[in-house]
Amino acid sequence: MNIKINLLAFLLLIFSINANAQVKVGDRLPSLELQNSSNEKTNINQFKDKYVLIDFWASWCAPCRLGNKKLVKLHAELDPDKIEIIGISIDTDPNKWMKAIEKDKISFLQLIDSKGFDAKAALLFGVEELPSQYLFNEKGILIKKNPTEEEIINLIK
Amino acid sequence: MKTLYKKSVLIVILITLFTTASNAQISKAEIRATGLTCSMCSNAINKQLKAMPEVKNVDIDLNTNTFVVSLSENNSLKPSVFKEKVENAGFFIGSLILTTNSETIKSSSYIVVEGKKNNSIEVQIQILDKGYVTDKELKKLSKSYKNSLTYNNNNENDFHIKIVN
Repeated sequence: MNIKINLLAFLLLIFSINANAQVKVGDRLPSLELQNSSNEKTNINQFKDKYVLIDFWASWCAPCRLGNKKLVKLHAELDPDKIEIIGISIDTDPNKWMKAIEKDKISFLQLIDSKGFDAKAALLFGVEELPSQYLFNEKGILIKKNPTEEEIINLIK
Repeated sequence: MKTLYKKSVLIVILITLFTTASNAQISKAEIRATGLTCSMCSNAINKQLKAMPEVKNVDIDLNTNTFVVSLSENNSLKPSVFKEKVENAGFFIGSLILTTNSETIKSSSYIVVEGKKNNSIEVQIQILDKGYVTDKELKKLSKSYKNSLTYNNNNENDFHIKIVN
């Protein structure tokens, strides 16, 4: 019994150390609470038993805005029971973020961590450039960084 | 013990003298970077700049796509350091504007080719040499300054400058 508790404590310790480093393939989706576009706190790891695609972007990042168009289409095509798409913006100005959401007609979950590349979320995931995407499977394990649209569709179907 | 004390006093005096003497310096650098990908979408330039001990702060102006770098006092940085850092990050300089005291540009490394020297304590200068402007601009500048004795030599220790302000 004691050994089990020790082992559990050890695993927890390892996990918490890992959670501070950047997320690698095989790692679990970390717990992270951010504001959504309706100003409510939302944890990124609340979606159980479904794939989670996390997309880091910013309103001023032109390639991200093109990516948004593709994501909006993809979101409409995929079964919402099977995959949750979460956008995390590192915009420093939330107003520009809100305008971009409206303009790009994004209906999937949008969160913000308004500190640019120094944002806690960006550091946690090890985001060094925009856009950056992370695909977690239904068990919450990171299976692919920057997956192609095709790869996502094939996995979900 | 006493000699050690004397020695340290001497060192402190020397350091103070040295730092006040070397007040020729750059206080701010405004860098616009170019490259194949969006320079603002990468953390690389930001990281390179922030790793320099002389850098106090890096602000990003998203309206002009400019990195605004504040530097500590009494640094002895040369304009070439910014080119080096930006290129290390995988980008190129599109324009580099430095804020510096007017003493700095009296040094022989700076050659004023445009704008007039004025009496203000601080001046803003743009570096016009190869590697500090876009290729398109460089072509234009090479034509404009074809009669300059030094411009087309591309000596990396000579900085041809335009006084912006």
